[in-house]
Amino acid sequence: MNASRWLSLGLRAYLVIFFVYLFLPLVIMAAATFNASRFPTVTPWTGTTLQWFSALWADGGMWDALFNSAVVAVGVLCLAVPIGVASALFLTTVEGRGKSFVYALILSPLLTPGVIIGISTLIFWRGWGLNGGIVLTVIAQSAFIAAYVMLMVTARLQRFDRTLERAALDLGASQWQMFRRVLLPYLRPAILSAAVLAFLQSLENYNTTLFVAGYDTTLTLYIASKVRTGLTPAVNALALIMILFTVAMAMVYEIKRRREARLAVARLAVTDESA
Amino acid sequence: MWRQLCDRFGMPLGMAVVALMGIWLILMVLLPQWQMIDYSLHPSLLPAEQGGEKDVWTLANYATFFQNEIHLSIFFKTIWSSVLVTALTLAVSYPLAYYLAKVARPGQAALCLLLLIIPFWINEILRTFAWYIIFAFRGPLNELLFALGLIDRPIRFLNGDIGVLVGMVYAYILFMVFPLYNAIESLDRNQIRAARDLGAGWIRTHRRIVIPHAKPGIATGCIMTFMLAAGSYAVPALLGAPGSRWFTQIIYNWFFEGGDWNQGAAYAFLLLALCIVFVTLVMRLFKVGLGDIAR
Amino acid sequence: MDGRVSLNQVAMHFGDFTAIQPTTLEIESGEFFSFLGPSGCGKTTLLNIISGFLSPSEGDVAIGDSDMTRVPVNRRPTAMIFQNLALFPLMSVYENIEFGLEVRGIDRRRRRQKADELLALVALEGSGHKPVGDLSGGQKQRIAIARALAVEPRVLLLDEPLSALDLKLRQHMRTELKAIQRKTGITFIYITHDQGEALTMSDRVAVMSAGRIEQVADPATLYRQPASDFVASFVGENNRFSGRVMKIDGDTVTLDASLTVPVAGRAIAGTDALTVGAPATLYVRPEQWRVGAADDTRLPLAGVIENEHFEGAWLTLDVALAQGPRVRVHVAQSTAQESPDLSLSAGMSCRLDYTPARAIVLPAEVGEEVGEEGAHVATTV
Repeated sequence: MNASRWLSLGLRAYLVIFFVYLFLPLVIMAAATFNASRFPTVTPWTGTTLQWFSALWADGGMWDALFNSAVVAVGVLCLAVPIGVASALFLTTVEGRGKSFVYALILSPLLTPGVIIGISTLIFWRGWGLNGGIVLTVIAQSAFIAAYVMLMVTARLQRFDRTLERAALDLGASQWQMFRRVLLPYLRPAILSAAVLAFLQSLENYNTTLFVAGYDTTLTLYIASKVRTGLTPAVNALALIMILFTVAMAMVYEIKRRREARLAVARLAVTDESA
Repeated sequence: MWRQLCDRFGMPLGMAVVALMGIWLILMVLLPQWQMIDYSLHPSLLPAEQGGEKDVWTLANYATFFQNEIHLSIFFKTIWSSVLVTALTLAVSYPLAYYLAKVARPGQAALCLLLLIIPFWINEILRTFAWYIIFAFRGPLNELLFALGLIDRPIRFLNGDIGVLVGMVYAYILFMVFPLYNAIESLDRNQIRAARDLGAGWIRTHRRIVIPHAKPGIATGCIMTFMLAAGSYAVPALLGAPGSRWFTQIIYNWFFEGGDWNQGAAYAFLLLALCIVFVTLVMRLFKVGLGDIAR
Repeated sequence: MDGRVSLNQVAMHFGDFTAIQPTTLEIESGEFFSFLGPSGCGKTTLLNIISGFLSPSEGDVAIGDSDMTRVPVNRRPTAMIFQNLALFPLMSVYENIEFGLEVRGIDRRRRRQKADELLALVALEGSGHKPVGDLSGGQKQRIAIARALAVEPRVLLLDEPLSALDLKLRQHMRTELKAIQRKTGITFIYITHDQGEALTMSDRVAVMSAGRIEQVADPATLYRQPASDFVASFVGENNRFSGRVMKIDGDTVTLDASLTVPVAGRAIAGTDALTVGAPATLYVRPEQWRVGAADDTRLPLAGVIENEHFEGAWLTLDVALAQGPRVRVHVAQSTAQESPDLSLSAGMSCRLDYTPARAIVLPAEVGEEVGEEGAHVATTV
């Protein structure tokens, strides 16, 4: 066996270890759901049970927190997505002096620790009489989630063929009609995936929310408080549900991707023949 | 700028764009940060005293920090640990990113990327919690080591820094892998072949061809990871011992236990300044601009 | 429907750079008019000024009797076919064609009716529901034309729309475009750097160079009577001899072009700018040469064949004249076959002649001196 074979073998072994590292914690966490032990663990196994699902179901605080999280996430969607799209439009349209400053400003929330965004939002809005709660959480989360939306939309917008825009105007469309009928449909996939990302980011955010949530506990805050005080495997049951949901989404995505890839190949073949 | 926007989108849409960005950048980014700095330069006062003679500009809040040895040591420990987390994450991510970008077939790579993302769709708290279970005193890791005969009594992983390091690498690995992957992906495969062809060994090929090309990705990954690590609250709170606190925990305590927001603001600004210094330093070191980072 | 386009002293500056020199031009209603020139000559800028994407730095644009200078692009009675066609990729063929009507608020039924008519015009009936991604290059081309015609423009602007097609299809589309233009009677303004396209389709052609219109004429005039050195060299191939005027006899001008004999041609633009001793240039088209054997002394110019290319209908020879300059010669296949004893291969000597009445003489342009090399072949294909 020569060196490069060893190398590729090593790389493969590394990959296996890596993905074990990535998924083993999730598996263990999920497995602990079915352990009868009062404390979430897999060792020692004290008997298999489904009781923690009913414990989760009966947990009123969890449902309240979930409701708050959903409200916040929807709020973030309504605020961060338009802002992100607007910034993407701005960055791909405007050239000239001042642009790099605006660009740095737009990126800054991504490079600022989440706690700082939470703190500054809390301090600023207290001056206007707005205290911690759902509204402030939406504002604080949107401050940095909008930047993610901007990045995703900009990436697609940069590949947009601007002659399509000119064609629409040339055919008599107003700028608004051009935006509605040509640019927006083109951006739709990017906006949709940015919206999904924004929703998930909002749901899982902890650092920023910690400072601005006030008494409106979100799901993440609730889980964190559970983990620190009064931990039972009901939290694992919740984690398991989230994992299954995520894996299902990932599978749907993967199936869709494969189908689209096949479709693209088929379409290419058709075009070649009729050309 | 206004002209260009109106030419492309017309008045109403142009105004909407500017208004939305104005709300964001001014009301949600600039003014809050400014207010935080302003807070940090004032003493903590009762509402009745505000605007009174005690309401003066002062560096007292910063002086508190520099006079508190415990806080200073926690600050530097946070820096050091974050650098360590960043370096570890880079080392772990690089082979993977290289594999995904240049070795794997496109279908394989897409599947791997999807697998990578799955854990990151799950709550950071839950991901950390999973490690909490593994590292527990009577948890599976100790049981495993015991069964293998490597130890004769359980180790308290959650008492030192190991738990925090492992948990953080796990939590932020995606923010390193993706920039690296994007950067390496854009490298022409033939360059690697040419280097190999000219007799360069693997190490030299990486050092002279792949790594220089991936510099913007490395810089981005390091900046993101460091920022996330230094600003992390959940991981040290869950996996760290009470004795090994993180700087963010001190900040939190000023706000919600000490009740001194002005003092907390000063500490928060120090953290922000730290991140700005780190970002600037990395960008200088790697000679990359902001444009390279956002990709 | 008046599709007359008038440019009055239109000029365009980008900073210090002048893209269009002050230009006045009238394009007739229903005319197939082309702007021909190399890239960077300003033809696209001019098209953008007519369509309204750019507003000129100076001058006015009018279509019919109405001034268009301040009218925005979406309210002009023009439609454009873009170089990359710019079909909306996410829309079906119907949606593409109906787009211009839709934004004008025309109801669905009438839109569909119009779209079907246009699909019939471009011979693509029944493909309305296809996504545009499923069409071939030529089909896309026709949909782009249908889409532009749907808004019933008075002027159709075409920005090198055929450049992406392969040769066969390109030649076919030329005929088709011309036919559509005749059928619809709309003014076509066509931009191209391909003289073949401009000459075959156009009623008139404007040859542009460096932001200036050099000549506006019908294709035959452009070829036979180029008004400037640029046109003579750019349109078709030409052999160019610089020299000094020796003699002026009526409109026949004799030059000393440092060849073994004086050469003569017709001064097509009159002899006003020519005086004895003044620098001038003689142009001889490759197909105007008569070729004879090396010992045929009736032909005055001697040379050696350097290259020969077989091009089907004719033979292209590069002949180095005895005095140095190399000229390009086309020998019709029929001629070559009639004289089998004439050996026209590389390395052979031969003699050349031409008819002075079919060669032209232009006064040398300002700033131009008699070249050292005497003559060069201006080849643009």
